[in-house]
Amino acid sequence: MSDFNRGLRASMPVLIGLVPAALVLGAQSTAKGITPVAVPLMTGLNFAGGSEFAAVGLWTSPPHLLLIAGVTLLVNSRHLVMGATLAPWLRHLPRRRVLPALFLMVDESWAMALADAKTREQRAPASGFSMSYFLGVSTALYASWVIFTALGALTGPVLGDMHRWGLDMAFPAIFLALLRGMWKSLGAAVPWLASLAVAAGTFLTVDGAWYVPAGALAGIVTAWIRAWP
Amino acid sequence: MIDRWTLATIASMALVTYLTRIGGYLILGGRQLSPRTMTVLDAAPGCVLIAVIAPLFVSGNAADLIALSITLVAASRLPLLPTVLIAVLSAGLARHLIG
Repeated sequence: MSDFNRGLRASMPVLIGLVPAALVLGAQSTAKGITPVAVPLMTGLNFAGGSEFAAVGLWTSPPHLLLIAGVTLLVNSRHLVMGATLAPWLRHLPRRRVLPALFLMVDESWAMALADAKTREQRAPASGFSMSYFLGVSTALYASWVIFTALGALTGPVLGDMHRWGLDMAFPAIFLALLRGMWKSLGAAVPWLASLAVAAGTFLTVDGAWYVPAGALAGIVTAWIRAWP
Repeated sequence: MIDRWTLATIASMALVTYLTRIGGYLILGGRQLSPRTMTVLDAAPGCVLIAVIAPLFVSGNAADLIALSITLVAASRLPLLPTVLIAVLSAGLARHLIG
């Protein structure tokens, strides 16, 4: 099987959570007065679900551009860290290939491609990151996201409450499974616990999406201190 | 039809998001990284993922916490697909039974 097809197949469990979420986002968007044409335009050009749910939640007519751009930056600031962790793996690739490919980087495609790169590296040193695998995962996620948000915008709220069906639990499950794949030792997981504690504390005390950058930053600082030479 | 403000807002979201995607790579891409930086980069992915789902751990909702515990156990010993199925089923059931 080619790496691209391997990526397509690996994305299937992610779609269990992604498709219903996309339908709900599409339905919420039209309920907020965004036209069904604008919905796939947003999800296709922005392609970052968390920030899109946040933007739709804040949507007014006309929309408040600076507020929505600011919230988008806040929710997606984690991409900066994600891109940085990919950088050492992308050394062998020219920028003109990497920069367009990074447009497709989302939590799942990033974490899965990184896990795949580490497995490949163990089997054959210096084989590393597979761009085809990353693009395989990303293509499936991108196409499904744009198609099903558009469908949700056209059909409206047919799915009802995805919370009731437990479908929203698919994403935490994916994240926890990915974390398990990254697990090395309890000691190496101390920064994760710091991130969890600070993110949870921030979520309980501060409005908005600050808990994501706050937690991630706390974890990174912890890792930095623990790696003191 | 799409009005100008909607179009401008979508364009600004797209630009901001793309800059966050390429920013980390452009800043670190060409550099020789110290072992310490590599250790930090090794820990960073897990920090990001767990921060995103942190609210679930403190939701205070009994059904959610039960589903989360079951999902934690599933994730620690099963592959991705069964983990996701068990998570969705346990959340749906727990909310149905407990509310």
